[in-house]
Amino acid sequence: MHSAENDEQGSHEPIREPRRHPWLWLVYLLLYAVAIPWYWPAGYRGPLVVGLPLWVAVSLLAVLVLAGWTGWVISRYWKTAGEEDSHGGQ
Amino acid sequence: MEASESQLTFGWGALTVIALYLSSTIGVGWLARRSSRGHSLSDHYLAGRSLGFLALFLTLYSTQYSGNTLFGYTGISYRIGFSWTASILFMFSVITGYLLFAPRLVALSRKKKFITPGDYIAHRFGSPRLTLLSTLLMIYALANYTLAQLRAIGAAVEGLTNGTVPSAYGIITLAIIMVVYETLGGMRSVAWTDMIQGILLLSGFLMLLFMVPGLAGGLPAVVEHLSRIDPAKVQVPTLEGCMNWISYVFLFGFGAAIYPQAIQRLYASRSTRVLKRSLALMTIMPFTTALIAMVCGVTGSMVLPELASGETDQVLARLCSLIMNQSTEGYWLVVLIFAAALAALMSTADSALLSISSMVTKNIYQVYFRPQSSESELTSVGKWCSWIIVTLLVIIAIGTEKTLIRLLELKFEVLIQIAPCFFLGLYWKRLRGETVLTGMVAGLLVGLGLTWLGYPRLWGFHAGVIGLLVNFGCCLAGVLRPPMRDKTCEATVV
Repeated sequence: MHSAENDEQGSHEPIREPRRHPWLWLVYLLLYAVAIPWYWPAGYRGPLVVGLPLWVAVSLLAVLVLAGWTGWVISRYWKTAGEEDSHGGQ
Repeated sequence: MEASESQLTFGWGALTVIALYLSSTIGVGWLARRSSRGHSLSDHYLAGRSLGFLALFLTLYSTQYSGNTLFGYTGISYRIGFSWTASILFMFSVITGYLLFAPRLVALSRKKKFITPGDYIAHRFGSPRLTLLSTLLMIYALANYTLAQLRAIGAAVEGLTNGTVPSAYGIITLAIIMVVYETLGGMRSVAWTDMIQGILLLSGFLMLLFMVPGLAGGLPAVVEHLSRIDPAKVQVPTLEGCMNWISYVFLFGFGAAIYPQAIQRLYASRSTRVLKRSLALMTIMPFTTALIAMVCGVTGSMVLPELASGETDQVLARLCSLIMNQSTEGYWLVVLIFAAALAALMSTADSALLSISSMVTKNIYQVYFRPQSSESELTSVGKWCSWIIVTLLVIIAIGTEKTLIRLLELKFEVLIQIAPCFFLGLYWKRLRGETVLTGMVAGLLVGLGLTWLGYPRLWGFHAGVIGLLVNFGCCLAGVLRPPMRDKTCEATVV
């Protein structure tokens, strides 16, 4: 199955993909850094926000932002030439 | 606690509803068989690459969130409290992992008509040894995964019937149901049943969010109570705890993203657009599952404070029994939650089983025993494989001692070592098969070695993640080394 020919060009090839844009991953790094609660004082709980300790609420909010960010990244930075095609023959 | 509060016991009405749900999966399998377009491997294992948005999203969802999310995550939250917020982050990180390789892999799979992850590895690296080792590791990890689901099915059935039906009967019956609908319609059956199971699972989790916190007077009451009696459960994790969060992000971001059944779902999508929409929606699903499991677990630690550490995985079942005894509505809601639990277990197990069958057939049987075999023959062999594999797994699930099961639990430590094939192989043109193989072996030795020496974690980092670091290091060293003139190992340009 090994093939050395470069025959991979075609309508399926990604013309834009998130991996090729380092700044997107810097934003990911920042958001992950907020989601992981390393920056709070030891033993901190904080006031309750929607029934949750503050640090939990902040982490969850960061994951929510990550989800929204990822949705945007997928829609804007993952493009293929033949995206609309159906390939199942059905 | 009285027996009636600690056991889930359903009457004939509830058992009939659950039996109807299980029978419906066979019916779906039959419908899927009628919709099949021939006997090709693509049709059997990838539903003819025809999965639309709803089917793809629900099959991704119900496959990713297993019985462990329901029972295991509530148990861990019971033990460690809000530190298990990590689970929402690391379940999300799987989608980040996809973004690092899926665009290119999906494009390549459509051109080269890959059926299994092993097909990609064989094509990319041209190394039979690497393909074989990767395939065996994936089969090993998935067999463990399926085994865990089967054992949980047995425990659930035994609990449901208050021990009247032994776990072995539950395992055998549900395994037969799974393999029957899978044989009937392959991936199409699995994806369609996953749609039912996904909706059940989502409904079950929402019911839990609606019912469980009320048992303790609401979430704020739980937090205030735990702040007084066990403050560590509501306080921010230690620095080592935070390192453990990072480790989990790597473990799931690299490990769960390359589960073979997940990769085959990427292959099976009708179009890239459908796949993108499904993955975008998957980003919020940790809030509907892992977060609710955590809320149930911490509520359980207030409502049921007496559970021993070995019993904490039963916390959800015990909370359900409390809800059940409150009212008739509560009873039927628990029936729904139980059906959701069975759905979670079956949807994960059937997907893993189908994936194992595809890899045994395509990457072992065809390559090493019958290279000239037709697609029809391979599909037929694949169906037989499913029956043989499920028989073996049922025997192990019923008859194996717990000590051996502990060894069999190792899966991420093993699976994650295949990550460089995808995360690096799709982008590093100079990465050669022999280099990846060396890295994989080194990563396995480190990951498994640390685990067996009694260090499953170091400074909060999982042994498998440390092994992966060594693995990546080997790949980097191999790429930076001056190129050798060895045509047999030249990497394919992808």
